[in-house]
Amino acid sequence: MSDEYNQNNTPLEAQSSETMSGSSSSKTDIDYVRPAELSEQDLYHGKSFITKWIFCQDAKVIGVQYFLTAVFTGIVGLVLSWLMRLQLGFPELVPFITAEHYYQFVTMHGMIMVVYFLTALFLGGFGNYLIPLMVGSRDMIFPYVNMVSYWMFFIAVCVLMASFFVPGGPTGAGWTLYPPQAILPGSPGSGMGIILMLTSLSLFVIGFTMGGLNYLVTILQARTRGMTLMRMPLTIWGIFTATALAMLAFPALLVSCIMMTLDKVLETSFFMPAIIQAGEVLDYGGGSPVLFQHLFWFFGHPEVYIVALPAFGIVSDLISVHARKNIFGYRMMVWAIVGIGGLSFFVWAHHMYVSGMNPWFGFFFATTTLIIAVPTALKVYNWIITLFRANIRMNTVMLFCLGFIVTFVNGGITGIFLGNVAVDIPLSDTYFVIAHFHMVMGIAPLMVIMGAVYHWFPLVTGRMLSEKLGKWHFWITFLGAYSIYFPMHYLGFIGVPRRYFEMYDSPYMASAVGMNEFITVAALIVGAAQFIFIYNIITSLRIGKPAGKNPWKANSLEWLTSEVPPVHGNFGEKLPVVHRWPYDFNVPGSKEDYIPQTTPPSEVIGAEVEKT
Amino acid sequence: MDETQNKEQSASTHKIGIYLWIWGLLFVLSFFSYMVDWFAFQGLLRWGLILFFMFLKAGLIMAFFMHLFWERYALVNVLLWPMTAIACFIVLMAAEAEYTVFTRALYFFIGG
Amino acid sequence: MSDNTLNNLPGGYKGMAHDMGSDQTAFKGVQWGKFMMWIFLLSDTFIFSCFLISYMKGRSSTVVDWPNTSEVFSLHVGSVPVPLLLIAIMTFVLITSSGTMALAVKFGYEKNRKMCAWLVLATAIGGLTFVGMQMFEWSKLIHEGVRPWSNPFGAKQFGSFFFMITGFHGVHVSIGVIFLFIFARKTFRGDFDTGKRGFFTSQKSDYVAIEILGLYWHFVDLVWVFIFAFFYLW
Repeated sequence: MSDEYNQNNTPLEAQSSETMSGSSSSKTDIDYVRPAELSEQDLYHGKSFITKWIFCQDAKVIGVQYFLTAVFTGIVGLVLSWLMRLQLGFPELVPFITAEHYYQFVTMHGMIMVVYFLTALFLGGFGNYLIPLMVGSRDMIFPYVNMVSYWMFFIAVCVLMASFFVPGGPTGAGWTLYPPQAILPGSPGSGMGIILMLTSLSLFVIGFTMGGLNYLVTILQARTRGMTLMRMPLTIWGIFTATALAMLAFPALLVSCIMMTLDKVLETSFFMPAIIQAGEVLDYGGGSPVLFQHLFWFFGHPEVYIVALPAFGIVSDLISVHARKNIFGYRMMVWAIVGIGGLSFFVWAHHMYVSGMNPWFGFFFATTTLIIAVPTALKVYNWIITLFRANIRMNTVMLFCLGFIVTFVNGGITGIFLGNVAVDIPLSDTYFVIAHFHMVMGIAPLMVIMGAVYHWFPLVTGRMLSEKLGKWHFWITFLGAYSIYFPMHYLGFIGVPRRYFEMYDSPYMASAVGMNEFITVAALIVGAAQFIFIYNIITSLRIGKPAGKNPWKANSLEWLTSEVPPVHGNFGEKLPVVHRWPYDFNVPGSKEDYIPQTTPPSEVIGAEVEKT
Repeated sequence: MDETQNKEQSASTHKIGIYLWIWGLLFVLSFFSYMVDWFAFQGLLRWGLILFFMFLKAGLIMAFFMHLFWERYALVNVLLWPMTAIACFIVLMAAEAEYTVFTRALYFFIGG
Repeated sequence: MSDNTLNNLPGGYKGMAHDMGSDQTAFKGVQWGKFMMWIFLLSDTFIFSCFLISYMKGRSSTVVDWPNTSEVFSLHVGSVPVPLLLIAIMTFVLITSSGTMALAVKFGYEKNRKMCAWLVLATAIGGLTFVGMQMFEWSKLIHEGVRPWSNPFGAKQFGSFFFMITGFHGVHVSIGVIFLFIFARKTFRGDFDTGKRGFFTSQKSDYVAIEILGLYWHFVDLVWVFIFAFFYLW
């Protein structure tokens, strides 16, 4: 088993080698790593343009496809947020936005951002590109299914976007799609809109099940020689746990979508109670709206961890590389990720304290919710301790990591407020909730995504992004996003409700007008600042500084490919052999301040360590 | 019939007998389940017997037909522990159903 | 991984710690496709569990009486109503097909092409019979007035849950039947012996595919065990 602290300086017998044959001679070979268990993967090589770039089975190409599609939907979501903020801040400027439109924007913004942007980006984008590289495999283990999974996602996005153009427009039921209103007239898009949304979600789930199978099995069964689970970068642990959650949580979403579709199309009554609508008794009866909420949040809570855990993993690696220091408490970071993942299945009804569910549930779920805060806080402490007395490089990537820590702590603390039943009652359905989840799920993971792009852009394209533009991008985004969401907590405290089309006339609402205007202006500025990022990416593709191999001097395998950018097959003739974890930075006595994972013990033994 | 093992496959094949035994056992258990309905047991006895035979049948299928009895513990544990989330969901939804029927009785019939 | 190496690994929970701590693979001797199928089945288990939990919640909270399942699902032999007769036959057929599938996997690994192929075909026919009987049951109930939105026997949700759950299960069986017929043909042709590349995936064929399909088929049988117990018997 890997014992990270011992193997750097003292000559030891090989530890990672439980020899299969049991021969003793191999135990004295210090560089011994177990031989390969399996023969090399049979890769499919596309020959035509279509099989190389469209229906490509190379996980890297698929990763970029996911990334671009997810970013496209994210931009749609961003534009929707501008429209929402314009309506809230300056309603007289946008008379064409009706209440129906507003609810449609709210719904589509939420669903796009959570599911189609963040989940697809982290799992499909980063997962596909980084997993095979970081575990030392040539590709995912089932490239064909991987390719199909992307096109399922693409079709799901098309169906979702189509809902903008159907009669009645897209659904305006809120991203939570609660019945019975979601399928009854009175809610925008209760005709075709909701059906297309449910169809799109079902297609998404099917696609991500296929993708998820690839990610899980590649990580568990296709690592290279010497790569134990406890030598994997935390990025992989985050994406891995998130994928496991996805495999187990998406079923509940699929089931609730199917049942709601049947309620709409076949007039079944799974979720529909007896209803009188405008004096008319409808044909429904006997169903339970709260059942939908339970099913939805049984999916919905793990979903937010599906978004958060890859961010946790990625930021750990970014901090480590750019602070030139091993992540503090790697093993506990792994267990925290796994623990958060497991516990996330037992906290769902903290989204339902005011739903009218069984009153005793509040006790159970508040308890589990506060328990899940513990491993999360542990991770925050470990990031901070990692930075303590480290050799921090204040580049754009590190700035985004620091931005992540600040916003995540903010959002996490407000989560404690909301996790307590009594405190949640007045805060539920107010802007406090919106501020909380945007901080913790919007801004913080977004900081990680941006940092990750600055970090891995040199690998994917072979060029560096501009640091100057990057710093402008960071400061405007970070300060701007804080200006948007920090004041929102106060709006929530004074009771301003969420999902309201307009701030109606009453003394306390009138006091919120100025704040809303401020937030809107900040939002538009932050939105505009993203063009700096896009400009940076597009120009650096042409005129960016050539990166060469491993410009950040990192340790993990994705930087050790035969070519940059990596080609099909990733590692050239021979797969890498791993001898250590990826966090050997500034190890006392080593020649450089980093030791790549493939460096065998024999190259680092006998180092002179200064007496301190 | 070639009985030699394929060196590259991990599954060791078993004698035909074990499959036939399990097959027979499954029929017997299905028959017993059917008898629960035939004899019209009610209440706790009915539900208890139904669940007992169901889990037994499920267990036999998973252990022997799906080969889990011979698989290593790592696989078996990874597959079975997630069921605790389902178990939690079942218990909570049963409680929720009871609460729902209580509120319906209260509001529809007693007029609370 | 050969049987020899597998047997030399530590067993029990110590073995689990060893496996999880080792490099390359966490599940020794488990081929990629087989493990993928297991994870997919785990996910599918959650889907059916959610369906059955919803059914439990719906049935337990209804204020209108739930129909008497032994009456609704009875078949008339002459003039005598036999409760759950069709269901009993369907259970028999599915368990039999599960048995033939298990045997097919065994013979597949022993490279006995003919026995394997015939047993896969037998499984496919069993599955097809099951689907046919399920469709017959549906048509009988529809004829008696059971609809997804209402039914003459009791609570509205009876029809909705019935059609949805058995429909979903039936779709799974049908997909399995299609694959079984395809694999029967592949086995008869000797594709698994020669390692012929698949049409879509271009991957080499291997007898482990029979085991993988077998896992899926046993899962379908497993779900039926639960549906039988919870929906028809309860």
